[in-house]
Amino acid sequence: MLTKRQNLMETIKGGNPDRFVNQYEFMNLIMEAPLGEMAGPGQTIKNGWGITFSWPADQLGGFPVHDDEHKVLKDITDWKNQVKAPAVATSDEAWAAAVAHANAVDRNEEFVTAFVAPGVFEMTHHLMSMEDALMALYEEPEDMHDLIDYLVDYELAYAKELINRIHPDCIFHHDDWGSQRSSFVSPEMFAEFFLPAYKKIYGFYKENGVELIVHHSDSYGVNLVPFMIEMGIDIWQGVMTTNNVPELIEKYGQQMTFMGAIDSGVVDFPDWTPEIVAEYTEKACKECGKLHFIPNLTQGLNFSSFPGVYEETTAVIDRLSKEMF
Amino acid sequence: MSKIEEVKAKVEIGKTKLIPGLVQEALDEGNAPGEILQAMVDSMSVVGEKFSSGEIFVPEMLIAAKAMSKGVDVLRPLMAGDTSASLGTCIIGTVAGDLHDIGKNLVSMMIESAGFTMVDLGVDVPAERFVEAVKENENVTLVACSGLLTTTMPALKEAVQTIKASGLDVKVIVGGAPVTPEYAAEIGADGFAPDAGSAAVKAKELVA
Repeated sequence: MLTKRQNLMETIKGGNPDRFVNQYEFMNLIMEAPLGEMAGPGQTIKNGWGITFSWPADQLGGFPVHDDEHKVLKDITDWKNQVKAPAVATSDEAWAAAVAHANAVDRNEEFVTAFVAPGVFEMTHHLMSMEDALMALYEEPEDMHDLIDYLVDYELAYAKELINRIHPDCIFHHDDWGSQRSSFVSPEMFAEFFLPAYKKIYGFYKENGVELIVHHSDSYGVNLVPFMIEMGIDIWQGVMTTNNVPELIEKYGQQMTFMGAIDSGVVDFPDWTPEIVAEYTEKACKECGKLHFIPNLTQGLNFSSFPGVYEETTAVIDRLSKEMF
Repeated sequence: MSKIEEVKAKVEIGKTKLIPGLVQEALDEGNAPGEILQAMVDSMSVVGEKFSSGEIFVPEMLIAAKAMSKGVDVLRPLMAGDTSASLGTCIIGTVAGDLHDIGKNLVSMMIESAGFTMVDLGVDVPAERFVEAVKENENVTLVACSGLLTTTMPALKEAVQTIKASGLDVKVIVGGAPVTPEYAAEIGADGFAPDAGSAAVKAKELVA
């Protein structure tokens, strides 16, 4: 039996996996790294960038607050005065728990995986609201280029420290680039603003020993796939069924692997049942096949919003591995 | 190209900085404010169609709506009291338990561009609040309810049914990622739209 790591590599390279890669099993996520403050359920916090996040207890996630009082960037042309990056944590103490966790991982079995979020696109709209960020791409493109460069520099400073401390094998990087029906920006705009940013970021990781780049965007993104490949993404996690995943695998599977195809929205809700999970998981596995595909809820971490859904999905994938391999 | 045609063309491509001057020039040429407004509404219909078909994306739609809004600012003082071009007031909000506002804001912009006066109740709006807002505002013809989460679909249903049960003479349109035309019909909504461009078209149809 292959290790989780070997089985993953066989799957993405189109070799001979002996079972499905089961959701996030190949990633040993080092969540202790000092990535910055994030709001938990019931909390309102202000992070190092000054962005206020609120997560009401009865909601499924947190949101940046963008009223006039809380918006960090009120005028893109004045971003140099209004946006101040926090310092990257560089003390041994700040990294101790992450280092201890990484050292305890058997790298033959799993990938030591660093979680990085939010991404560059998300940072632009967290700072200034989605509407302002998207309009600024048109109205003040030079300032947006400069702001994006600044965000990339920060990411690279963090990446440098991260690599020195835990030597990750894999990066799990979030940046949502679309709704379930379309990408937020046109391919041309994406190529102008975000492709160069990610070529720098993912290029830096790859040049420094990271073997695998997994990018999360639980959205439509067919029109961005060529750019994802160009920037060095190995696995697109969160790929929704609106993308026609079997067709993507057929067309691009040799260059990138697709992880998802079980839309969280249709299986992960208060009245979920094992039958519903089985129906959508079987559909995903049977339609997408054994190579260049990892069956997974589209949610961007290794859990579900409602208790039991993630574990049930795992159990169905295990059963399907026995039946199909 | 006449000035009014130029206004129409520049709104469509979101030339926000040029529009106020062009609208003024169109007025100076003797075009009626209502005619210029209609030209901008027409451009936004084109923008909505292009968005629905995937030809353009959210930034292009936002920038066009902003351009139109700059043009309306020039026309507004000249059209005070003239309600002939208005399709009435639309109350809009994201239903209780749901904090998503981006889609709702886009829909609001596009419905406004179609000729409605918008009253935005924000997010996490209880069903009764929609009814109160209809009563508090003048000439309300439409209520637009948004819900993005599977988990807030019951709240969407409650909002629609509370508005309908109030007996108020308004149409209700719904939308959001998990909403289907079948679900919209099942919960008693008058209309459904899958995206912001279609929402503007459907809104006009519902109050025609």
